Amino acid sequence: MARYAMVLDTRRCIGCHSCTVACKVHNELPVDMIYNSVTTIGPTGIYPNLHMVNLPLLCMHCANPPCVDGCPTCASQKREDGVVFIEDKKCVGCLACVMACPYGARVPNHETGAVQKCDFCKDRLEVGKKPHCVNTCHQKARIFGDLDDETSDVYKLVHGENPARLLGELNTEPYVFYIY
Amino acid sequence: MKNKHQGWGWMLAVDFFFAGMGGGMLVIAGIVELFIGEGRTSLVGNLLGPVFMCIGCIFLVFELGRPFQSWRVFMNPKAILTAGAWIMSVAIVVGLAYASFGLNPAWFGMEKLFWQDWNAARKFLSAVGLLTGLVVATYPGVLLSRHKGRPFWVGPGMITLFLLSSIVTGVAAQFLSGLLLPPVAFPGVMQALPALAGGLLFFQLVIWIGYIWVKRTGGTEAEAASAQRWIDGDISASFKSIVMLLGTIAPLILLLQSSLIAQAVGALLVLLGGVSIRCLVVRAGSDRTWLPGEQKYKNRLPFGDEAFLKAWNK
Repeated sequence: MARYAMVLDTRRCIGCHSCTVACKVHNELPVDMIYNSVTTIGPTGIYPNLHMVNLPLLCMHCANPPCVDGCPTCASQKREDGVVFIEDKKCVGCLACVMACPYGARVPNHETGAVQKCDFCKDRLEVGKKPHCVNTCHQKARIFGDLDDETSDVYKLVHGENPARLLGELNTEPYVFYIY
Repeated sequence: MKNKHQGWGWMLAVDFFFAGMGGGMLVIAGIVELFIGEGRTSLVGNLLGPVFMCIGCIFLVFELGRPFQSWRVFMNPKAILTAGAWIMSVAIVVGLAYASFGLNPAWFGMEKLFWQDWNAARKFLSAVGLLTGLVVATYPGVLLSRHKGRPFWVGPGMITLFLLSSIVTGVAAQFLSGLLLPPVAFPGVMQALPALAGGLLFFQLVIWIGYIWVKRTGGTEAEAASAQRWIDGDISASFKSIVMLLGTIAPLILLLQSSLIAQAVGALLVLLGGVSIRCLVVRAGSDRTWLPGEQKYKNRLPFGDEAFLKAWNK
């Protein structure tokens, strides 16, 4: 069984928001919903030594997802391959998962009443394709793959570049890694 | 969009208030029944406890994005919301069954309701009501305190605060119910309730000050920022004027007066303080431990009434 993970190389990300747009278009999200934002930190420093980082944010597909534990209807689930997703028909829109997620990765859909989130485009994974955001990133800042596969780029980066995890102190064990 | 709520709203706070107050009323009724004697709390209070929990449930259902599928919240035994829903359901049934022992048979044209002689059942129901009421009074605090990413909620302090507030509102509601319909047994516990509520209010005042001080000074940077909202931020005016002054200090003074009217007004103010503090606590949950650059990003999002968005929706 695979264990999907994503590495975000912030050295490559130029903050073009292509991934945000690709995600919105392919998931047909309403105008007020974003799964996949890109924040900008900086510029910091004093000219000419300026520094700016673009930080793509998405569901961290945690190994210990508080959203899954907090969901009273079992709509929030984690698959064996690590993908955390919401079974729409079971979601009652109680927002317990929205409040439980420390990454703000879950968004209420005010039209359907349910909560939605990034699911690593699991329908594409099933046919051997990569998530839309990965495909669309022309800077190759998003690297996606199987962390159990020692030949994968994700495995090499996670074990070779010492990437960071966001809010690691919360012990949620995110499977989205960041290279600074 | 920035102006659409992305988390829990006031209806959940009102659910917490009614459920907590109802749970507190069950706790008081159970303690009095088991350790003091039968019939010493008002029938109105014993009935209103479970009824308030039902009202809380109604608010909870309307908070849901899909209210007609609310039955699904009973499905995940590992979730605290599910545990709360089950225990509240048990508490409602048990509370109503217990209250039925105090019904006047004459209202139904009978000399006696057949179950009113089952003393063991009455004691059992009061004990179960006491335990489930205690859980219902506590569980919102447990639910909130487990949110790792919500700096104002996280930690066990929230459990104490919710339990205290639920018990004090339960005592106040039992007292007001006793004014509407006095207990059948004499002496009741009516005269002791204002002093009990006063003592609990004082304890609650101290705990609140300690909680905010600990969050402000001893926690993480995010916790300090969240506590600052209560000291001089957007929550501070409501907290100081409505919760502390009107909902805690004023009733503390009024409940210790000998005048029944002053005590009744004090009890009503306790309820005002109870609902207000829950609204503020839920509002304080809008603070998350923000990720780098996230607040700046969110502040740049449109409000929803911009011309280009309206054009998009046409």
